[in-house]
Parts: sequence; structure tokens; C-alpha cells
Amino acid sequence: MTPAADQPPPSGRFHGDAIGMGDLRVARDGGTLRTFLGSCVGLVLHDRKRRAAGLAHVMLPDSQGRDGPPGKYADTALAELLRLLDAVSAAGRTGLVAKIAGGARMFDFSAGTPIGDQNVLAIERILDGAGIPIVGRDCGGRHGRRMSFDVESGVVTIEAIGIETKTI
Amino acid sequence: MSEDEAAALEDLLRRGAGDASVALSKWLGRPATIAIKRLDRLPLEAAADALGSSAAPICVAAMTISGSVDGVLLLACDDASGLALCDMLLERPAGSATTWDEVERSSVLETANIIGCSYLGGIAAAARGGAAGLVPSPPLFVRDFAAAVMGGLLLERAATRDAVFVARTEFVVGGTPIRCALVFVPDAESLRDIEAGLDAGRSPP
Repeated sequence: MTPAADQPPPSGRFHGDAIGMGDLRVARDGGTLRTFLGSCVGLVLHDRKRRAAGLAHVMLPDSQGRDGPPGKYADTALAELLRLLDAVSAAGRTGLVAKIAGGARMFDFSAGTPIGDQNVLAIERILDGAGIPIVGRDCGGRHGRRMSFDVESGVVTIEAIGIETKTI
Repeated sequence: MSEDEAAALEDLLRRGAGDASVALSKWLGRPATIAIKRLDRLPLEAAADALGSSAAPICVAAMTISGSVDGVLLLACDDASGLALCDMLLERPAGSATTWDEVERSSVLETANIIGCSYLGGIAAAARGGAAGLVPSPPLFVRDFAAAVMGGLLLERAATRDAVFVARTEFVVGGTPIRCALVFVPDAESLRDIEAGLDAGRSPP
């Protein structure tokens, strides 16, 4: 995996090979990007032609102008992923696709729309507005996930405790 | 929260942990201590790793607390430590429990109930002048990735905060450290009450 030259240095939330909450990462020419997800949503953008991809661990649906790591909010995460993907390859964006996973309801303690559902809806809306199709998803439920994205093949592997591993 | 307030909070948590130690000792029928090793103020996104970030699952007994303080309380253990606790409770030879069957789940849920309410008693007293009326919900058993559990909890109860306090706990039972953690995430109103209670506690009479 070749890290993008323009992306921020690994933060304290990048543990080994797993991207932490609110963080994001881009890569090109192969490798694997991984993250653990509960109510958060993993957003993968993949540009097969440029052999580049990014993964953001989105915690909340809307920044509402607040500061924070760009991967933390759905609106800022997409913008930052696009900026970093452009930075790793001068070629124009073509055939960019998205895959998403997560958005679970880990606990049932709060009334109202679960934060996981809010995250999924926000990402769907933002991707739709940017004209980026979602070509794979594994969202909802009440369990955590480990999301692993193979940059070369574009395949996302979803692992969960007590549930058969799947690919999207 | 100022440094003085944080120090007062740490002191408060240590007293709560002392109460919880007594309760756990009685419950297990052997000496047990729960100690607060450190109190950290962490950005919300960093707190998700408080229980670890590996792919190994953890088991969690989770319940809401309402009354004098409101929030969510977790007792989290790795499989080996949680099952070892169950063997102690059930007075079976160590290593008897190997899977999370109904009796093991019930054991860890009841343990969380007992030590959680003791732990929060002191906090409730500081927050609203009394520990009476702490009402725990029926606890839930969850076995999942640690980062997914903590992330889900923090987003459900603390999503609007920029930072949270993480108190690192150490459990020792019968002289042997076990890998368990007690996590309490107060609701926003209870957090304000706790802070106000700490302020009042420092004021001269």
C-alpha cells in the first residue's frame, strides 16, 4: 500500500492497521484499509481506474460547522476523501463508487431515530448529491463489524462476532 | 472542567470504587478490589479505544441508570476474565466455564447490577445530595468488538460532547488481576449536576 503523500500523518487513533473513530485514510496500488464499526459508518470511496481508494470512519451525520477531525462527520468526510484522492492521482475522477457498512444500533437505550440510522441516511444523501453510486452496503442490525477494504480488488470484507463473514 | 474539578472527580470515583469493592467482595465471597488507576480527559473519538482496539471480542453487561444520576453503565471483560468471574460466583473449579451460556450470562449481569449501583452511589450523593432512588434497567448482555461497543455507547449518550473523562479501573480478585472495566457515561444533565456538586464540595462552609 502506498500512503497518500498529502494525507495527514497517522494519528493516535490509527492503531496498527485499524482506522480509529473519526479518522480516514487513503491508499493506492493495493493494501488493505480496516476499521471497527458500531453505530458509526465506514465509507469507502474506490476509483478503480486510478487504483486509489479511501476509507472514512464517520461518527456523526452533520458537522454543523463544528471543528473536529474531517472523518468524524459525514459532510466533511466525503469532501476530505475526495481531496485526498485527487492528491494521490492527477487523473480526473471517473468511475468513482462507494461502499458503506455499519450504522448498527448497539444498544436500545435511547428514544428517537438511532444515531446509526442517521449516519447511514446522511451518507446516502451526500453521496447522491455528489453523484457517487453506492455499489455495496452492509448496514443496520445490532452488532459491531470489522470492515476490511482491499484496495486492489475493491472488495470489502465484513466480519462480525458470531455471524458468517460476508463480502460486498 | 478545571484541574481542581477533575481532581475532585477522581477522588469521587475512587470513593465509588471503594464502595464497589466492598460489594464485589461480598458478592464473590473473597477479597476483591476495584481501583481507579487514572482519569483521562480524551476527545470523544479517542475514548472509543478505552476498552481496547483488537479484534478479540469482549463481553459487556450494559444498563441504564436513572434517578439521582442518569446514564449508562457497563461492566466489560474479556472472555477469559468474565468466565473466570462466573466460576468464582458459581463456586466451580477454575476453567469450568468455557462458553457464555444462560447461567454465565446471568452471573455477569447480576454482578454488573450489584457493583454498578455501589459504584454510582457516591457519585449520586455528590451530584444531587443523595444516592436514594438509583434505578437500574434490566441489564443487557453484549459480546462484540470492544471498539464497536464503546463507539456505540459514546454516540448514543455523549455524541454532542467534544471530550469525555475516562477512568481506568483495575480489578483484583483474590490477589489476581482480572481484565475487567467499569464504564459510566452520565447524561448531559447529570454531568452538569456532578460538576456543580464538585464545586459545592470545594466551597468553604
